[in-house]
Amino acid sequence: MILMPPPDQAVLARRTQIVADLRQIVPGDGVIDTEHERRAFECDGLTAYRQLPMVVVLPSTTAQIVGVLRYCTAHNVKVVPRGAGTSLSGGALPLEDGVLLGLGKFKRILEIDTANRCVVVQPGVTNLGITHAVQGLGLYYAPDPSSQIACTIGGNVAENSGGVHCLKYGLTTNNVIGIEMVTMDGEILRLGGKHFDSGGLDLLGVMVGSEGLLGVVTEVTVRVLPPPPGARALMIGFPTVEGSADCVADIIAAGIIPGGMEIMDRLAVEAAEAFVHAGYPLEAAALLIVELDGVAVEVDHLVALVEEIAQRHGATSCRASQSEAERLLFWAGRKAAFPAVGRLSPDYYCMDGTIPRRRIGYVLARITQMEQVYGLRVANVFHAGDGNLHPLILYNANIPGELERAEEFGNDILRLCVEVGGVLTGEHGVGIEKRDLMGTMFNETDLGQQQRLKCAFDPASLLNPGKVFPQLCNCAELGRVHVHGGQTRFPELPRF
Amino acid sequence: MPRFTPQNAAEAAEIIARAAAGNQPLEIIAGASKRALGRPVASNDVLDISALRGIISYEPAELVLSVHAATPMSEIEAALSEHQQMLAFEPPDWRGLLGSGGEPTLGGVVACNQSGPRRVRAGAARDYFLGFSAINGWGESWKAGGKVVKNVTGYDMSKLQAGAFGTLSVLTEITLKVMPKPQTATTILLPSLAGEVAIALLSQALNTPYEISGAAHLPAVVARRSGVAAAAQGGAVTALRLEGHAPSVAFRVEAAEVLLGRGERLDAAQSAQFWREVGEVSPLLPAEGRVIWRLCPTPSAAPEVLQGISGAFASAEAYYDWGGGLIWLSLDAAAAGPDAGAAAVRGAMARAGGHATLIAAPAALRTAVPVFTPLPGPLEALARRVKQSFDLRGILNPGRIQEGH
Amino acid sequence: MQTNFTAAQLANPDIAASEQILRSCVHCGFCTATCPTYALLGDELDSPRGRIYLIKDMLENDRPATAEVVKHVDRCLSCLSCMTTCPSGVNYMHLVDHARHHIEETYRRPWADRALRRVLGAVLPSPARFRLALRAAALGKPFSRYMPARLRAMLALAPARLPAPSPVSRPQIFPATGPRVRRVAMLAGCAQQVLAPQINEATVRLLTRHGCEVVVANGAGCCGALTHHLGQDGHAAARANILAWQREIESGGLDAIVMNASGCGTMVKDYGFMFRNDPQLAAPAAQVSALAQDITELMARIGLRQPVQTSGQRVAYHSACSLQHGQKITNEPKQLLKQAGFTVLDVPEGHLCCGSAGSYNLLQPEIAGQLRERKVMNIKSTAPDLIAAGNIGCLTQIATGTQLPVVHTVELLDWATGGPKPAALG
Repeated sequence: MILMPPPDQAVLARRTQIVADLRQIVPGDGVIDTEHERRAFECDGLTAYRQLPMVVVLPSTTAQIVGVLRYCTAHNVKVVPRGAGTSLSGGALPLEDGVLLGLGKFKRILEIDTANRCVVVQPGVTNLGITHAVQGLGLYYAPDPSSQIACTIGGNVAENSGGVHCLKYGLTTNNVIGIEMVTMDGEILRLGGKHFDSGGLDLLGVMVGSEGLLGVVTEVTVRVLPPPPGARALMIGFPTVEGSADCVADIIAAGIIPGGMEIMDRLAVEAAEAFVHAGYPLEAAALLIVELDGVAVEVDHLVALVEEIAQRHGATSCRASQSEAERLLFWAGRKAAFPAVGRLSPDYYCMDGTIPRRRIGYVLARITQMEQVYGLRVANVFHAGDGNLHPLILYNANIPGELERAEEFGNDILRLCVEVGGVLTGEHGVGIEKRDLMGTMFNETDLGQQQRLKCAFDPASLLNPGKVFPQLCNCAELGRVHVHGGQTRFPELPRF
Repeated sequence: MPRFTPQNAAEAAEIIARAAAGNQPLEIIAGASKRALGRPVASNDVLDISALRGIISYEPAELVLSVHAATPMSEIEAALSEHQQMLAFEPPDWRGLLGSGGEPTLGGVVACNQSGPRRVRAGAARDYFLGFSAINGWGESWKAGGKVVKNVTGYDMSKLQAGAFGTLSVLTEITLKVMPKPQTATTILLPSLAGEVAIALLSQALNTPYEISGAAHLPAVVARRSGVAAAAQGGAVTALRLEGHAPSVAFRVEAAEVLLGRGERLDAAQSAQFWREVGEVSPLLPAEGRVIWRLCPTPSAAPEVLQGISGAFASAEAYYDWGGGLIWLSLDAAAAGPDAGAAAVRGAMARAGGHATLIAAPAALRTAVPVFTPLPGPLEALARRVKQSFDLRGILNPGRIQEGH
Repeated sequence: MQTNFTAAQLANPDIAASEQILRSCVHCGFCTATCPTYALLGDELDSPRGRIYLIKDMLENDRPATAEVVKHVDRCLSCLSCMTTCPSGVNYMHLVDHARHHIEETYRRPWADRALRRVLGAVLPSPARFRLALRAAALGKPFSRYMPARLRAMLALAPARLPAPSPVSRPQIFPATGPRVRRVAMLAGCAQQVLAPQINEATVRLLTRHGCEVVVANGAGCCGALTHHLGQDGHAAARANILAWQREIESGGLDAIVMNASGCGTMVKDYGFMFRNDPQLAAPAAQVSALAQDITELMARIGLRQPVQTSGQRVAYHSACSLQHGQKITNEPKQLLKQAGFTVLDVPEGHLCCGSAGSYNLLQPEIAGQLRERKVMNIKSTAPDLIAAGNIGCLTQIATGTQLPVVHTVELLDWATGGPKPAALG
């Protein structure tokens, strides 16, 4: 059960007027009011949580966004920004008394600057769309979350999205060099740009990953790179998960940073193989895919090194791709892992947590034990290179109680991640999904400091309240804040 | 001048809490090697956290290093070397530049977001900053981030702390991502190119898939001061560094030269020295009688920026790093005038986008002249509110970045 | 996704089928990436995922369609690009067809809309009526600027000069040239006969040259796609075809049923699903669907003869939605054109519809126009000599946006292996 902030009854009472006023700011089809049309926006990729928004607004220009935010500030109306709605943590879950602000119409590529290796785009451009725009020029945008075909760069900025290749090429925050944003009171700010470093506080750095809580992004400048001249992949089967994890550790200890390293457990491999027929070794307990990229002489050298390391760790099978087609085939199953697993079960719940890599064997063993306790199967897919797990909990939403059990199971897995020295989320974001677990990683003081930062950007707490942090901040308290011995702050304010 | 020397983070927190209660500002020092960086701090009291040192945990196979904030860089680099690893952002030693003694620490490096030549490809200090513990302006101990390389739990406070010059919180523990050290390096020195041609060529080089990890251009008068003979031979040098394992470097160097032109090649040791000089600003030293600026323009606009400044100041000496994205500029102090040349420098930068920071200048100048590029009104207001959200009373390094906070 | 249908609702086989489809959707949103209307409008409601949600809401609650649902479903091209992209195998085609049917049953369209749809449903599937309508349109062309948008769009699509009708489309048997290796039925179609009779002519020449006896079956006519996608009943036309081909199967046997309009191909391949609950027609329909092939599919199996004349001309191959998404035929046409001696160019954003989409360009001229412009721009970026496609709707639509010659793939294959040079190439 995830509670959201109680709706503001005064705002709800004025709903009709608010909708009419918003239509003045965003004319045409941009304000969506009928209940059944609003329903299509009631959830993002995390369909277990749904909330009908008060109204949906789809602006076409930054000026309209400024107008909407100013209006909402003046009338105390909350705002939830939304990109492509592919978030897996409920980041775009609407509020009953809030405006759902969709950035889907901001789809233009504004400037391609090859001399400075950057592209300026509107926030609704998809991640892969950026690469498509520059690949003819021998460039690409490196971060590649699995949803890259559909997710928007604005959403990537909000979540600091990662992907298979982020061990070597960085997360979104390492590849975004500038943004334009609008604050909740309608101020347009430009952070960063085509130059290196910020000239003072790195506000751009804190905006990336702020999950729509600090401002609405209206333009993004990203770094683009020349793609590596070639790549080869290895598909390695291991009789134990520990073996595959140890192999990964040794690869890194050998000074090799592969383009990507992914592990799939037996259930995930079986599902993927049935779906894609890539020739995955079905007898393996864990399958490791390693991608090495660079110039050919380097790649071939690294392939040989990795083969040797794999042998040392008892690999039962090891195939190195001999052609581009074969490399893509090795990856086909991994890329299809989620939908393949989706065919095993009517529904699945995709978790996201990061752990120190050396604990992978232990964590997976504990997850296997939990499968018995909860009576639900789990297929495991993970970014072995950075310890980012994606346990896929299989359930059937149409069977009463299974969704709740799946959530409890998911929460237990996240607590386990923190227990072994990891974190709640590696790339999906906290959203609402992990909000109530923030206390396992951070204490009141830690969260209080984060809340105070929020106050600097959005003192009225109108942007995406109820996400990421389990308590609303009351900025009026800012001046009088102090804590002794970890006492709860704001005890007089109601918890939601 | 009261000087507090806590032995651990808890003591430091108490000191800060007391200072906050009494509205007593503090200058924060660790290795005391960068006190002359930024604006002079408006405080007599010093909080010396140099006792907060030592490696907490180092897991080479996890690519994660956790240390107490005042751990000297020398200690860290030694520990990393043992496992053939490094800090990819190549933090430079600016003691020569700043004319200071002391011992650079990781806390200072991160607080100032110090990044060297490899930043052009590998990213800055902030890109490797995974998590930390710190003490805010109320004396509260808090933490953010984590100890794994991939983490988006909560706001990315690490980015905000990096480059904050200690004005938001006092770092007490720092966790960084480390990377493998390349097996070897070669630097190609292309001779006698004019500034514009050089920057265009560096851009072309960075657009190749040969993983160029250093892209600098030193005009003749500056190059001649290099301690590397091949670089000091006479004319301008345009330098491209390639790193990695030996056969890969050999292949890529050859491919790069075929595309961009042949030149002298520096071996690994010579490369190391050359790029260290570039990072430490040695070619513009000594700084006596000079003021030194650090400019970060849009790279393609760099030659035009320098042309504008050279037009205003005949004494200007400068060189480019980061493919043009970094210009180190030295002006004769007297000729630069009471604003240290700020009007001309920032004027030339206006069209190029980016920022200019006054790095080496006497304290009086750094008090009178805006050391950091002034921000537009709304952004300045936001920066002030952010500062207040960590340090309402303004006791942590007050005035280090902006007068008043 | 979780669904909320009652047992009573699920007793209806169409609802049950749609419920299965809704369950298979996980709301991941990948489909939004390749949907032409989402690309243009940026509105979740004009994306497959949003439409699925609207349809789910409507069917679960047993509600009549509202004006808003109709607006968004009407905007759907049924290009099926989403089905190609969907990682979960959602059969969007069946779901939206069900929704269109539900709309026609429960929503009273404005009279002009109703009238237009009735006219389209009556005229397009009948070559005789269509020919009459086009003659009238030719007369009306000079006055098009005084007409409302939709009529103007229709007049723009009507050819200035109508080709003479061809005897090739009448029921008859064309013997193979040389020894007979296969016996195939050719769907003569409806609108295509009128607009471009040379396509059927080229198809017959090509097939007979390659050892096929080609039958135009008596009683086979429009495949029913146009009426079906309008939400009207396409079953009657389908039934007629199934029975006609069944007679041919029983009399002379058939190795394949060939379609040269990919829109028809997708429809005929779906006959098995359409009639799955019909006790009499289920088996014949399934057999017909199993025999159905696009002309390029069949030619790829037969193998193209050595070309007798090659031009090396640069052909921008436009992959029709019904061919690449509906039937998953992507490489065969390009391979055949290469074998025929052409330089084949891939069109950027090739997954995006040209805007024809059956009668879509008549009903949604604004969106269709934007899509056509985007398609033509993408085609032109490849600097082609000519444009080839495998569907009459695409050919007509694209031709109104460019001066470049536009021909059917089969015309080029025919030309290369001994047939006449297509008239469009001058």
